[in-house]
Amino acid sequence: MSKPRVAIFDFACCEGCQLQIVNLEEEILNLIDVVDVVEWREAMSEQSHEYDIAIIEGSITREEDAKRLEVIRSRAKILIALGACATMGGLNKLKNNFDDLNEVRECVYGKDGQMPHLNTFKTKACDEVVEVDFKIHGCPIDAAEFAQIIRSLLVGKTPFVPDYPVCVECKANENICRYEYDEVCLGPIIRAGCNAPCPAAGRECFGCRGLVDNPNVEAAQEVMDKYNLTVDDLKQKLVLFNSK
Amino acid sequence: MSVSTVTKEQFKSFVAALVNSDQKVVGVQAKDDKFAFGELTDADALRLDYDVTILPPKKYVLPQKETLMNFEVAGAAKTVCPDEKMVLLGVHPYDMVAINQMDELFSQGEYDTHYMNRRDNITIIVCDVVTPSENVFASSMNTATCDSGYDILLTDIGDRFVVEAATEKGEALVKTINGAKEAAAADTDKRKAVQEKNIASLNKHTLECKPSDLPDLLEKAYDHPVWEEKAKLCYSCGSCNQVCPTCYCFDVQDEVNWDLKTGSRCRSWDGCLLSNFATVAGNHNFRENRADRFRHRLYRKGKYVPGKIDGQIACVGCGRCISACTSKIANPVEIYNTLMEKA
Repeated sequence: MSKPRVAIFDFACCEGCQLQIVNLEEEILNLIDVVDVVEWREAMSEQSHEYDIAIIEGSITREEDAKRLEVIRSRAKILIALGACATMGGLNKLKNNFDDLNEVRECVYGKDGQMPHLNTFKTKACDEVVEVDFKIHGCPIDAAEFAQIIRSLLVGKTPFVPDYPVCVECKANENICRYEYDEVCLGPIIRAGCNAPCPAAGRECFGCRGLVDNPNVEAAQEVMDKYNLTVDDLKQKLVLFNSK
Repeated sequence: MSVSTVTKEQFKSFVAALVNSDQKVVGVQAKDDKFAFGELTDADALRLDYDVTILPPKKYVLPQKETLMNFEVAGAAKTVCPDEKMVLLGVHPYDMVAINQMDELFSQGEYDTHYMNRRDNITIIVCDVVTPSENVFASSMNTATCDSGYDILLTDIGDRFVVEAATEKGEALVKTINGAKEAAAADTDKRKAVQEKNIASLNKHTLECKPSDLPDLLEKAYDHPVWEEKAKLCYSCGSCNQVCPTCYCFDVQDEVNWDLKTGSRCRSWDGCLLSNFATVAGNHNFRENRADRFRHRLYRKGKYVPGKIDGQIACVGCGRCISACTSKIANPVEIYNTLMEKA
């Protein structure tokens, strides 16, 4: 059996998730043993239009990017969204909180804001443009989780991606709950799989892996009251990664 | 078996010698402003005056994640058998009771080699509680003291420890404590006083019935409104499960290696509050509602598990779930008492 061909493409993002793949270091040799990487701008110069698996990093912010993603989709058997920008729009959706995108352009780019390549629309996650088969969450992604998901797909097994909150891993690691310090932590509503590195480092969960499938948003008011916090405190934390 | 007394300095020397031997020693240590069991590398770091640990010592018999077997895809499989010996130092009586219950559960029916191997390799030193934690209710659950499962029982009587060896393993270890003296009646009286104080005072929440009344109470409480009321605030985050010394449910996942020909089967802690805990083949989830899952935990503790282990109630009153629950809805005492009000 010939090896599956994999292509990695980037859109609006910092390319840090691709860098996480590079950070697999010697494990990259294992990766290229089992797949043919045919395009990957960050790591090689070759390009190809023929691939089985397309891995998409970044969010979609321009007409031409949406078209490019549609072409990639039409060529790929499996399309994977890589990292928060691709899976949910990520940080790039911060601008969706403003009504006037022209104002945003001017604020960010000054007089260059009117240049044609900066003609962007409201940020979209990949699945708001094309059908996405699998999502690898996080900002950045976790390299070990990426590797496990790729290996699962290669043996025809549905990859395990948790649908439980970060609290599960946070408690298993015996971190002290941020709510004990009266801080707003998004852990109870955000998808696990990261192994809770932020609370382990003494910071709250910022929500980079997105909401669990069925978050209890109705509980917010009463629970925040118990900590003398407000729903606004919670919403402000959600803006960073989970804007609409 | 012997009952002796040792000074705190003598005990520290004993711990230091243990730590310096090739024996793995696990003990309670400070973690920021809380406590946790961890490998002990310095006798001075041991904190037998702790109130409660973040996680129970369960993690040494049933680790958060462990490999059960290594396999070849569509080929042979080889069971991984844990065989590491360790001394577990400073287990509180309520946690000992929880381990005793799990010992029964994992050895009945399908004998769980992984759990039982770990258990057989652990020497447990229990210590009576010195500092009650903010939510402990062991007194209500009759677990403020314990009378089995440990190899050594340690009680702080002020200037010294009373050390009771309960097994051959424990006796052999006690013999290595330099300066141990046979306990006098006055010492065992002091120990009794400590234990009686704990039996009365480890009770920050008071269960208004006997633990043994819980199965009958729950028999009639399936449709009680409390389940819906509480579950409205439930994040389904499973924190109550994770920190519970008697929650032993696990999930099993296969992981494949880069050669795509070999892999390992791993189990990790699961929790009945998590939304997909009861999802089975065909994607059917038979406890999809938060309230159903919320109720299930309290039924496990008060009715289902007791049905497997001669009526022993599977809540030992450590109070960890009360502290760990972000929404502050997990207190078993509060819920059981509510059921009594309207029953």
